[in-house]
Amino acid sequence: MPKKILIVDDDPDLVEAVSMILESKNYEVAAAYGGVEGLQKAKTENPDLIVLDVMMPDKDGYAVCKELKADPELKNIPVLLLTAVVSKIATTRYTQAAGLETEADDYIDKPVEPEVLVRRIETLLSK
Amino acid sequence: MRDGCCRILTKNGWEVFTAENGKQGLEHLKAHSEETDVILLDLMMPGMSGMEVLEQIRTHHPDLLVIVITGYATVESAVEAMKRGAYDFIPKPFTPDQLRIVVRRALEKRTLQKEAEFLRRERERSLRDVATEKSKLKTIIHCMGDGVLVCDREGCIVLSNPAASRMLKIPEDSLIGNYINQCHLNSELLRTIEESLRAKDRNYISVSQELSIGEEEETYLRAHTAPVRNDLGETIGSVTVLQDISHLKELDKMKSEFIAMVAHELRAPLAAVEQQLTVILNRMAGEVTEKQEQLLSRAKERTKGLLDLIRDLLDLSKIEAGKMIQYKEPLTLQEVIQKVVELMKTEAEQKRVDLQFIPPTQNPVIHADRNGMEGVFTNLVSNAIKYTPEGGKVQITLSEEGGFAKVTVSDTGIGIKKEDLQRIFDKFYRVKTPQTRQIVGTGLGLSIVKSIVDAHLGSISVESEEGKGTTFTVLLPKESGPNFHPC
Repeated sequence: MPKKILIVDDDPDLVEAVSMILESKNYEVAAAYGGVEGLQKAKTENPDLIVLDVMMPDKDGYAVCKELKADPELKNIPVLLLTAVVSKIATTRYTQAAGLETEADDYIDKPVEPEVLVRRIETLLSK
Repeated sequence: MRDGCCRILTKNGWEVFTAENGKQGLEHLKAHSEETDVILLDLMMPGMSGMEVLEQIRTHHPDLLVIVITGYATVESAVEAMKRGAYDFIPKPFTPDQLRIVVRRALEKRTLQKEAEFLRRERERSLRDVATEKSKLKTIIHCMGDGVLVCDREGCIVLSNPAASRMLKIPEDSLIGNYINQCHLNSELLRTIEESLRAKDRNYISVSQELSIGEEEETYLRAHTAPVRNDLGETIGSVTVLQDISHLKELDKMKSEFIAMVAHELRAPLAAVEQQLTVILNRMAGEVTEKQEQLLSRAKERTKGLLDLIRDLLDLSKIEAGKMIQYKEPLTLQEVIQKVVELMKTEAEQKRVDLQFIPPTQNPVIHADRNGMEGVFTNLVSNAIKYTPEGGKVQITLSEEGGFAKVTVSDTGIGIKKEDLQRIFDKFYRVKTPQTRQIVGTGLGLSIVKSIVDAHLGSISVESEEGKGTTFTVLLPKESGPNFHPC
């Protein structure tokens, strides 16, 4: 039984590219193209893990993550936050701040290298 | 008698006026006192007596010299005339020479008198000038658009102008005559002024800083603070000049926001493109020929370069908007540098460059933003490694100099040409030589470094010799909180 991963990102091209990486590793993939849709699909699709973009127009990744973690039925789904590397100098602070605000389980910079993404996902799923 | 005297004196080149009696003489004087120096006065005259005339002259023209001519050669009348203010006397009868001698002596005296008068007036005028100069200066300072704040060595404000009180939002009477630590000055400014008063190092010239004043209507000031020293080099006070830079800040903020917006809009599609290229290159979208792989790898590298550039631009706009350097804390530089060296080790080893941090004998503490400082030294060390050929050396030293922590990063790299040296801190400036063509960079690294150092009131300088190597020197003010000063 392949594990199911929900990708939440408002950029369809990025969703497609990440899907292809995951599908090549035999994961089942579901996609949502915004924060609100992402929250819905988290309930309906019953994913094993969520890959969540931060910058989305309707509801950003921090807010989505907060709601997920506040929901007793969803809070155990690991969340891998896709952070854009907005700053070379302040990367550490950015991720620290993101971690504090979101209680996400892990972070990864985008664009991602396939093997790094897969390794992180495997680690989270094996917990 | 009159005519005789007149002839004798005219011969000597003196101008002579005559009057028949005392009344006429006084009237003439009334109109011509300016041109008259010496008066020859006969004591025995019909009508008004000589003594009376003498008294009138002394009252109305005290400067003029009167020589009395005494007809009877009586010592008494001569003495009496002298008592009443005559300058000299000449007894009748007299020879032309006697007359000339007496008149010449009186004229000489008169010249001296005039010179003394002239000097006295000069002195009076220059005193008056000093007084007007003082009020002029006061007016200028009062009307200046820039704020001025002067305090003595005890930290008591001795001079301020309306602009200063307006900018600092402190009433003028709460400034003048008060100690700087008692008039609710902006704490950063207070600290700088106190430091400038304490500065013993003669190299401490001036500090320039940006301040934000007020909470509701925030205004931004640029403050230049400099110690005032006497001839012995002792600090006797401090001068601060304030400029309102709110409108500049506003423009700068708009510019930074614009850059940030554009950068975000550029970054998202580029990240997607790179992600797609990554997928193709990893054969996740089917087979790829060798030639395709080569081209796509290059395309991926170029998008990476663009993403780097955007990231640097964002950093720079954030630093300039004052958003980056907000978390200043006491930092031991040794620890920061140690961490950077650890991080850069792999990069150095890959390039077979010997990276060394000379263990410092001093351990300065600075007041700084940790991420900012890591950024500064990561940039400098990474540059040094980049521009040093295989087998070269990169060395970092840390020491204290005056009130500053001093860090040097030197390499044995390709060096920088003299004409490039002064521009390397400019945005987007990259040194173009055959050796640097292969090195990837955005041309923003050093301007980011400089912005961060500036935001910490520090300075950065560079020395380089082409083909031999380059040394960057960073000076950062040491932490000077209350715990660090014996006072």
